Amino acid sequence: MISSVAVPWGGAPHPGAPIRVPRAGEPPGAPVGESLGRPVGHDRNVDPFQQFRAPGGRGRLRAVLAAARPGWPGRALYLLLSLPLALTYAALFAALVGSVVLVVQGVGLLLLLLLLAVTRGLAGVERRLTSALLGVELARGERVRAEPRVARRVQRLVLSPGTWRALGWLGVRVLLGTATLATLFFAVAAVVALSVQPPWNPLTAVPLLALVVVVVLVALVALELQARLAAAVVPRLLGAATEQRIAALQQTSRRLADRNRLARDLHDTIGHALTASLLQATAARRTLAPGRDDPLRPVPTDFARQALEHIESNTRTALAELDRALSVLRNDDGRSDGAGVPSGQPAGAAPSVADLEDLLAGLRDGGLPVALVVDGNVDDVPAALGELAYRVVQEGSTNVLRHAGCPLTVVQVVRSEQALVVRVCNERASSLDSRPGPGGGRGLAGLRERADAVGGTLVAGPTPTGGYELCATLPL
Amino acid sequence: MTGAPLRLLLVDDDVLVRSGLRVILESEADLRVVGDAGTGQEALDVAARSDPDVVLMDVRMPDMDGIAATAALVARDPRRPRVLVLTTFEDDDYLFRALQAGASGFALKRADPDELVDAIRIVARGSSLVLPELTRRLIAAQVPRRRPRGPAALPDLTVREADVLRLVAGGLSNAEIAGQLHLSRETVKTHVSSVLLKLCARDRTQAVIAAYESGFMDTAG
Repeated sequence: MISSVAVPWGGAPHPGAPIRVPRAGEPPGAPVGESLGRPVGHDRNVDPFQQFRAPGGRGRLRAVLAAARPGWPGRALYLLLSLPLALTYAALFAALVGSVVLVVQGVGLLLLLLLLAVTRGLAGVERRLTSALLGVELARGERVRAEPRVARRVQRLVLSPGTWRALGWLGVRVLLGTATLATLFFAVAAVVALSVQPPWNPLTAVPLLALVVVVVLVALVALELQARLAAAVVPRLLGAATEQRIAALQQTSRRLADRNRLARDLHDTIGHALTASLLQATAARRTLAPGRDDPLRPVPTDFARQALEHIESNTRTALAELDRALSVLRNDDGRSDGAGVPSGQPAGAAPSVADLEDLLAGLRDGGLPVALVVDGNVDDVPAALGELAYRVVQEGSTNVLRHAGCPLTVVQVVRSEQALVVRVCNERASSLDSRPGPGGGRGLAGLRERADAVGGTLVAGPTPTGGYELCATLPL
Repeated sequence: MTGAPLRLLLVDDDVLVRSGLRVILESEADLRVVGDAGTGQEALDVAARSDPDVVLMDVRMPDMDGIAATAALVARDPRRPRVLVLTTFEDDDYLFRALQAGASGFALKRADPDELVDAIRIVARGSSLVLPELTRRLIAAQVPRRRPRGPAALPDLTVREADVLRLVAGGLSNAEIAGQLHLSRETVKTHVSSVLLKLCARDRTQAVIAAYESGFMDTAG
C-alpha cells in the first residue's frame, strides 16, 4: 500500500500541485475512462446482428419450430396417455362424490380418506410424468406418510393445500383428456369423411388434399396448445406450495444462521485455545533458551513444565470442540442432501430435545461423563423452544469441557404444564487448571438474549458444592 | 525511547494468554509488566493503581469487553495509557470498533514475539501506525460501510498539513513522510502534532479514522 501512495508523490514536481492519488491496484497514469470503455463498446458492435435478427418474422418462426421440435414424442405420448388417465381420474371423481354421499352413513369417511391418499399418490405419478415427458421439473410434494403419527398424517392429508391442488390438477387432466379425445376424434372423423364422402377426381383432388392437410395441421396445433397448456398449468397445481416454499426458506436461513454460529464458535473455542497454546509454547521456549538466565528477571522454574501441561489440556479440548463442530457440519450436509423435504412443520430441520442423546454421545466420546434425564413428554414442545433447549445443553456441556475438564455432568430436561426447564450441572472441576471465568462462556450472552425473547430466564453460576450450573426456564 | 522501561498492563480473560505474554514480554529489557486483569472492569481498577504506559487489551471479555474498557480508559485520560488491542483474527468484527473507541493500534496474538514487542514500542512512541498496511486497510474498509460519506467536515488544514495527513493515512512513518516531502523530521513532527491537535485526535490511528470518516480520503484520492 505504501508504494501505491508513494509513487505519484515521488514524481510530483511540487508538493502543492494538485495530484490525483490512484486507488489501490490502479496502474499509475492509466486513463480510467479508456481502459474500461473500450471493451464495452467493442461488445456492443458485435451484438446487434444477433439481436436484430432474432425478432424478425422468419427468424422467429424458425426459432419457434426449433423450440417446438425437440421433445415432441414426449408431448405426444403425454397427450395419448391423458386419454386413459382422464378416464381413471373421472372414475376417481365419481368415487369421491359417492364417498361424500356415503359419509352420511359413516362408512364413506374411510373411503374418502383413501381416495384423498390415492389422489396424492397420483399427483406423484403426474409429477414424474410431466418431468419425463414435458420436461417440467417440479419440487417433490410434502410427504404425508413421513409424519410420525397416524392422526397427524390424516390431519395433513385433509388440511394440506397440496391435496386439494392435486385434486384440482386431476380435474384439469380430465378436461385436457376430453379435449385431446375430442381433437383426435374430430380430426380422424374429418379426414375419414373427406376421403370417403366427396367424389375424388382430378379436379377435386388438390383442394381436397389441401383440406386434409389443413385439418391435420389444425389438429396438431390444437394438440400442441394442449400440451403447452398442461406445461403452463402444472407448476401452479403440483409445484411447491407457498407454505412449502416458506418452510424451505426458513430451513435455508436457519442453516445459514447455524453456520454463522458455528463460525463464531470455532473462532471463540478453537481459535482461543490455539492462541493460548501458542503463547504458552512461545513463552516456554523463551524460558528454556540458553543465555536467558538473567538474574534480575528470574523466570518461574516450573514454567515450561506447566506450560506443556496447559498446552496438552488446551489442545485436547480444542480437538473435542473441533469434533463437535465437524459433526454439526456433517449432520448439516446430511440433512441438505438427504430427505430434506420441507414439510408443513419441518421436523429434522432444527435440532430438538430428541437430538440431545446424540449430542451427549459425542461429548461422552470426548471423555465427558454426562447423563441425560428427561422428565415429562417433550415430543410436542414447539420447535423453536426445542431448539433453544438443545442450544442451552450444547453450550452448557461444552462449557463444562472447556472450563472444568471432565467432571461428572448431569443434563436435565423437565417439562411441566407451564414451562420447559433445562439444566446442565457439573460437579467440582476435575482438572487442576480449570478456569471458571466469571460470567461463563461467551455463548451464554446470546442464549440469555434468546431466552429473554421467549419470556424465559437463563441463570448460570457456581454451585455450593464447587460445581457449576446452567439453568434455563422457557415458558410454554 | 527513554531509559525507564515501558510499563505494561495485560488484559485478557484467559489466564494462559496472560501468563504466556508476561513471560514473553518480561524477557525484553525495556518492557515491564506491571499488572494484569481478566475483565474490562478489572482492567480499569488495575490501570488506576499501576499507571501503565501501554495496555494490551483483549476485545471479547466477560464483564465489560475491551471496547468499553478502552473507551473508559481514554475518557479518563486521553494521553495515558495508550491501548494496544490484541486480537485472535485480523478480520475480527470488533477490531474497528475498538480502534474507534480510542485504541492506538492492534496486534495479532499469534504475531511473532518480536513484532508484538515492536507494536508495543510504536504505540508508546506514537511516531507511526501499528501494522500500517493492515490498519489502513481495516479503516478504509470499515468506514464507508458504517457511515455514509458526509461532507468534508475536517477543520481547516493548511496545504502542507493536508499533505502530511494524507501520508499518515497511507501508513507512512514520520521518517518516511520527511523523505517524501523533502522536509526535516522535526518539521514533519510539528505538522503531525498540529494535525492531531486540529482533529482532536489522540494519535495517528484516530487521525486516520477521522480522515476516512470525514470523506477527506475520498476527495483526496
